[in-house]
Amino acid sequence: MSDPILSLNDVHAHIERHHILQGVTLSVMPGRATVLVGRNGAGKSTTLRAVMGLTPATSGSIELEGQAITSMKPYEIARLGIGMAPEDRAVLYTLTVAENFRLAMSDEDGQGDRRLAQVLDLFPDLRKFMSSKAGILSGGQKQMLAIALVLVRKNRIALIDEPSKGLAPVVVDHLADSLNRIKETTTVVLVEQNFYLASRVGQDYFILDDGRVVHQGRMEDLAEDHELKQKYLGIA
Amino acid sequence: MAAQAGEQALRLSESELDLKKWVLWALSVGIWFVPLVWIDPITYLTLTIAGVTMGMLLFLTASGLTLIFGLMDVLNLAHGAFFAWGAYAGFSLLNWLNAKGWVELAGVGQSVGSLAMVLGVTLVVGALLGVILERIIIRRTYGNHLKQILITMGASLVMIEIIKILWGPNDEVILVPAAFRDSWDLFDVIVNKFRVVAILVGSLVFAAIQISLQKTRLGITVRAGVENRELVQILGYNIRRIFTGVFAAGAALAAMGGVMFAIFKEQIYPGMGEENLIFALIVVIIGGMGSVTGSFLGAIMVGLAFNYVAFLVPKLALGVNIMIMAVILLLRPKGLMGRE
Amino acid sequence: MAPDLTPVQQERLRAIHSRYTQPTFVTQLALLAVLLLIPVTFSSFRVIDVTSKIMIFTIVVASYDVILGYTGLLSLGHSMFFGIGAYSLALVIYHASSPSWYHLLIAAAIALGLSVTLALVIAFFSLRVKAIFFAMMTLALAEFTDILAVQWYDLTRAEDGVSFKMPGIFDVGWSGPTIGPLELNGRVMTYYFILIVSVILFGVMLRFVRSPVGRALKAVRDNESRATALGYKTFHYKIFSIVFGSSVAALAGVMFAMWVGYVSPGSVLSTPIMLNILLMVIIGGLGTLYGAIVGAAFIKITETWLPDMQKVAEALLPKSDLVHRLAERWILYFGVLFILVVFFFPKGFVGTARDMIKRRKAKAGR
Repeated sequence: MSDPILSLNDVHAHIERHHILQGVTLSVMPGRATVLVGRNGAGKSTTLRAVMGLTPATSGSIELEGQAITSMKPYEIARLGIGMAPEDRAVLYTLTVAENFRLAMSDEDGQGDRRLAQVLDLFPDLRKFMSSKAGILSGGQKQMLAIALVLVRKNRIALIDEPSKGLAPVVVDHLADSLNRIKETTTVVLVEQNFYLASRVGQDYFILDDGRVVHQGRMEDLAEDHELKQKYLGIA
Repeated sequence: MAAQAGEQALRLSESELDLKKWVLWALSVGIWFVPLVWIDPITYLTLTIAGVTMGMLLFLTASGLTLIFGLMDVLNLAHGAFFAWGAYAGFSLLNWLNAKGWVELAGVGQSVGSLAMVLGVTLVVGALLGVILERIIIRRTYGNHLKQILITMGASLVMIEIIKILWGPNDEVILVPAAFRDSWDLFDVIVNKFRVVAILVGSLVFAAIQISLQKTRLGITVRAGVENRELVQILGYNIRRIFTGVFAAGAALAAMGGVMFAIFKEQIYPGMGEENLIFALIVVIIGGMGSVTGSFLGAIMVGLAFNYVAFLVPKLALGVNIMIMAVILLLRPKGLMGRE
Repeated sequence: MAPDLTPVQQERLRAIHSRYTQPTFVTQLALLAVLLLIPVTFSSFRVIDVTSKIMIFTIVVASYDVILGYTGLLSLGHSMFFGIGAYSLALVIYHASSPSWYHLLIAAAIALGLSVTLALVIAFFSLRVKAIFFAMMTLALAEFTDILAVQWYDLTRAEDGVSFKMPGIFDVGWSGPTIGPLELNGRVMTYYFILIVSVILFGVMLRFVRSPVGRALKAVRDNESRATALGYKTFHYKIFSIVFGSSVAALAGVMFAMWVGYVSPGSVLSTPIMLNILLMVIIGGLGTLYGAIVGAAFIKITETWLPDMQKVAEALLPKSDLVHRLAERWILYFGVLFILVVFFFPKGFVGTARDMIKRRKAKAGR
């Protein structure tokens, strides 16, 4: 049983006066895909944002491989190897795809070009649009680009927030394939409302409700547990 | 298959939009030839050059303001103070250079050299002031527009008062490098030499800004930050430091605008920043917050409009720009090329 | 037999009755008494002058507070309305062959007419554009009016300004009977006139912000989308607030002109006036009408007696030119003060005081 790569301990977070996270405790194992599921407003996105430092935790601790990152700034956390594809606006519309990559790429280890080639292998569609503004891409392509921007950096963890939102089922399938291909080298933490995607990609799950973790376990078990799914996710 | 059809549809509607855009642009350009109905071609040319010059000078100040607002979402009412400081710094430098014979009796080489030195020094002075202001004051007001407006007004007041302490409160005459005085006479059109210099400098600055924004990594970062501050941080950039840099650049541009304007008018006075700030604000509103090209075009528009109307109906000259601003705000609140 | 009052009605009655015994009411009466007695106690013109100006500016600042503090709209053109009021009075009296008291009414009517029209235009824009643009637009408009006044010699006599004499009992030269220790003359009559009008206007503003309309304004300021969702036609309220505040400022301008007898762009329209208003409202406290009194008093008193302090400084250090220059630049210190207040006391004097009182009450477990 290896050590968790990312752990949250009794994390609280507020947005203005609202107490969104009310004591989130969870651990993410390296090389496995972890999914956060739950109803709207449960605090799933806020949890990711707290890890990234965008919505700073007001109490509790967040650790990356044992190192406390709780009060770090987002760019410092990014430089430690945590990448994020936020819920909306995860790409830069007014920049070309190539400029998006240029902005995102990190090359301190000299592997930048290799990563770019790998990412374009994963999402070949993006090759065609390199000199077009990212704003004209379709929804699915934008999402691919968003994930590509996370992968083109030297990231150990990829936080991906609701990638399937607004996408057609066939695109979601493609997304699931792509995520499955990367999850061994980059630990994926996925927030998803779409249970199909969550169950195809996720290996460990945490159910959030009212700003707390109310259930956790292995995805195979959750897929079978209709009662739990009904209660917290509203699906049969 | 469906995805491809969708993409095609997207691209089609894009070209429809392009058509509308081209029509609008053609109109906005064409409208500047309307004054020819009332003005004879020679005067028209003189006025046009005057207008473009004024536009260039305005652009210098407005470009910094629009970047600061576009990237940092900060309304900087101290911009006029940077303008004035640039002018006064240049004033002192020119006096000092004059003592060395570089200004009033200068040849072309020395004139160009002094101007270059003056521009360089004002850039540095502006940048320094910008960094100081940003770190001490602006930093604490992010996200609160009311505080920003109040604080920058206060800061502006303080900075102008310090000018009055250091240089005295009266109007002063500023020296113009000899080679740039007087005018040329081209086919009956009198072209003031410094106007040409101003247009050159303005165009160079515009080109420099555009190249930096489009080609350099920093420029891409700034453009990205204008669109989506959060994502840029997620990608590992220290947006705070970039903010300070952009603010300093904006201040430097304003300072440059100030000294150029001062040499153009051959006069400086502590209140010059205030008046210019209003025009700069109008230009930024017309051009769109965050768009350098927008402020370039807007500045030229304002300059031309002011000069044509000043010739035809002098009392309306100021009002016409406010009217343009009002019209733009009504029809296209984000400005000609603004986003958001 | 009258039906029993509901608990809400009972509470409201209780609140109305208690109003007359609360400490704030007593303070108000005391203040009124002081103002009434100033001309009696002080024969120095300066004191009466400062007090008049404080009263006038209290009204200007309070009207600005209605727009900014209570409705949340940042307009940088308030000085414009003040100037319009001042010029209306000045020009009417100046051009009248034999000025009489009804010219006062005409001037007030013109002032109101102009300011309501202009306020409607501004209000319309406030609805269309975002806050920052509105601020910038009003700033541009105010500057434009200033420049217009400076350039339109035929109408405004430009920078020379308009000098005039008030008619009848307000004429500076008028002399009347002596009642006890008080000698009635033009100045004194004007002072009491201003006092009465100021009290009335201030009372109207108080009633306005405490009325249901006023409360709706606060709802708009705090959370406009929620107010709209609750069914308030927010744009009606915003327009009302701007027109109301601007008109009151114009009336204050009329009084100012009455008192000073001279208007010029520099004295009633320029940017420093707007800055003064901002400074006063911030020092006093946004969203607290009474703050206007504190802010106006502080600034006006400092402005009047600062030159004296300057002379003291000069007398102490007669040789130092730098000290002279430093002492002269009291605007610099105002600027610094302004910045400090915005940072450390954003609620202003009255606002912070009210907070402290609230906290003390909470601690006492009321």
